[in-house]
Amino acid sequence: MELKILTSANIPTFFNSLIQSGKVVVAPVLKKNGKVFFESVESYDQVSTDYIQTVFSAKSVVFPKVEELFSYTKKEDGSVEITNDLSSVPETIIWGLRPCDSSAFNYLTEFFLRENPDSYYKTRKERTTLISISCAKADDACFCTSVGLNPGSTEGCDILFTAMGDIFYTEVMTEKGKALIDAKLFTETEEKSKEAHLAKINTKFSIEEIKERIQNAYESTQWKHESMGCLSCGACAFSCPTCTCFDIQDEGTTENGKRLRCWDACGFGQFTQHASGHNPKTNQTARRRQRLLHKFKYSVENLGIVSCVGCGRCIRICPAHLNIFENILNVTKA
Amino acid sequence: MIGFKNALTNQPVPCFIEDASQAELIVYTPECKNNLAVYLHKPEVKQSKKIGIFGNMATLRSIIQLTSENQFWDIEKTILTIDANDEVLVFANMEEVETYVQANFPDISEEDLKLLAHLDSLTRDERWKYWTEQFTACIKCYACRAVCPMCYCSQCTVECNQPQWIRVSSKTTGNMEWHTMRAMHLAGRCVNCGECGRTCPAGIPIHLLTTKMNQDLFKEFGTRPGFSTKGEYALNTFKTDDKEGFIK
Amino acid sequence: MSDFEPKIVAFVCNWCTYAGADLAGTSRTKYEPNVRIVRFPCTGRIDFMLLMKAFENGADGVIISGCHPNDCHYTSGNFHARRRWITFRSLLDFMGFDIDRITFSWVSAAEGKKWAELVNEVTDSIRTKGPFKEISTLDSSKLKQLFYDEITK
Repeated sequence: MELKILTSANIPTFFNSLIQSGKVVVAPVLKKNGKVFFESVESYDQVSTDYIQTVFSAKSVVFPKVEELFSYTKKEDGSVEITNDLSSVPETIIWGLRPCDSSAFNYLTEFFLRENPDSYYKTRKERTTLISISCAKADDACFCTSVGLNPGSTEGCDILFTAMGDIFYTEVMTEKGKALIDAKLFTETEEKSKEAHLAKINTKFSIEEIKERIQNAYESTQWKHESMGCLSCGACAFSCPTCTCFDIQDEGTTENGKRLRCWDACGFGQFTQHASGHNPKTNQTARRRQRLLHKFKYSVENLGIVSCVGCGRCIRICPAHLNIFENILNVTKA
Repeated sequence: MIGFKNALTNQPVPCFIEDASQAELIVYTPECKNNLAVYLHKPEVKQSKKIGIFGNMATLRSIIQLTSENQFWDIEKTILTIDANDEVLVFANMEEVETYVQANFPDISEEDLKLLAHLDSLTRDERWKYWTEQFTACIKCYACRAVCPMCYCSQCTVECNQPQWIRVSSKTTGNMEWHTMRAMHLAGRCVNCGECGRTCPAGIPIHLLTTKMNQDLFKEFGTRPGFSTKGEYALNTFKTDDKEGFIK
Repeated sequence: MSDFEPKIVAFVCNWCTYAGADLAGTSRTKYEPNVRIVRFPCTGRIDFMLLMKAFENGADGVIISGCHPNDCHYTSGNFHARRRWITFRSLLDFMGFDIDRITFSWVSAAEGKKWAELVNEVTDSIRTKGPFKEISTLDSSKLKQLFYDEITK
């Protein structure tokens, strides 16, 4: 890890140099409806700095909401040509991730690359650099400190900036991050304490305690109560930085078409519908229980990590205002 | 009893009370904007044959519209609301709900009227650009469908894949198909609660599509959803002398 | 543009317009060949999504035609269709879709001449307007993505 300083005056210069390097730069942008979304930008003045969290996560850079897996064309001689071209995936930089978001990429990498490496994710992740900015503010939906993270965590990112007055304290975590650092704009520094510049987030629970108590939570009678408000839309899953469920769809004709990978959500009623017509999860209680147990129990069993990063997006986005940490607390009560 | 309660985040949330001792949890403030009528379709709610619902004007209108669509023959319900003087009103029957709603029938909000007027002033090309940009933002989370009390089909058209009417992929074409189809299925049934637009994570003002449809249908056919339990649905009735000027 | 030949899809009812088109044929009436006719039992069966699908699959213009009011073979199918068309047309116009590319008409089984004239008129008008690219290019257009799917170079 290398430690550097970037003065606030030089931030736009550094940012614009990233754009000029020819890479695609994705950053948070304030839209007319008052919400902030990740979008590809052309200059630093489009970047929003005064917000708590974006509506959607940046997972779509490595796991797009619609991704073409391959396309097929029937040739005149009757043979079928299949094209799968990942060379058009550009080098991308994501600027302005929160520490929770960048740590989510660790989970995504485990999920997509551990057993049967997914070439699409692999290519996109290799060509993506993650630049995080520590959180000076938080709201009551944030709970990263309850899942083993904190507003200044360096998990998962290539560079972490922490705003300290008129400088960005820069922690360069990886070779990828180092490659972006311009020696003319950054100066060396010694280690500084970030604590005074980070948001204070009260812990809602101890993750170790939850991991233990959740082992017996399946049978809890609280689940029905906690899921009553759920209307089975996909908003929480789609905005979540670690949700990876997808659907495969074919669009086209017998002459040509493509196979697409599209986001899917376990909240949808038909998510577990079998071709036979049987659906093992017949009600929303079962589906919500599945979602929460997946985040806090099954991910731990399968990949060794709690997949919830405490970003709070699901809480802010839910039409019925369901609250994941409140639910978890209630179903694990003795 | 379906109502609102305060929760950990500073926003009243829908709550479901099964025990009289918890009744004091129920709150009602101007922040209680959710249209609770959507929960009347939930199987878990329908299981209890007696239901109380403490709703706002949008909820009352939805209940009237759903009654006119014969959706409540198996549930006994008690309906409550708070009037302009902060008094709790308990309705003895649907007639009282109708009288109250008809006396206080809400207009379309100022903000929506302004946006509609703005869209009206654009050229066709500009309107197409506006809506296609909006539809490109859609991620097909179906939150709009989830919060709508009128979307109660046990199997939505999007869940049919023989044939695949609406593409699953959320590219612009698929999104446009979805919103067009939804606006048509709701035209003349939507009560303008605005929940779909308010809930959309991408901030798309979807409610404008159905608001405009309702305006047009009222002008053409005189139908007004959520007004009367005997109300007509514009698209399954007709008059032999319906007027139009575009059929050759 | 001079060699652009529009593709017109016609959704017609079996009892009136289809028979009318047949009559145009047996009368050896010459009319533009650009129309592809899809036969339905009644205009009341025509789903509005079919129009969208026609445009998505390359149609430049659409004709929808059925029995005159009070003449429907199924008594009231065309009345329901009329209400549906009024509603759908208004929605399309609000969304900025070019509603002049869709033509609605009542053509009876005796009106072979009217059918031929209608097809000629529509074909001419669409030929003047040009090919309809607005829907088929939607997904590949450079619309500023609020939340992009795949970024490509």
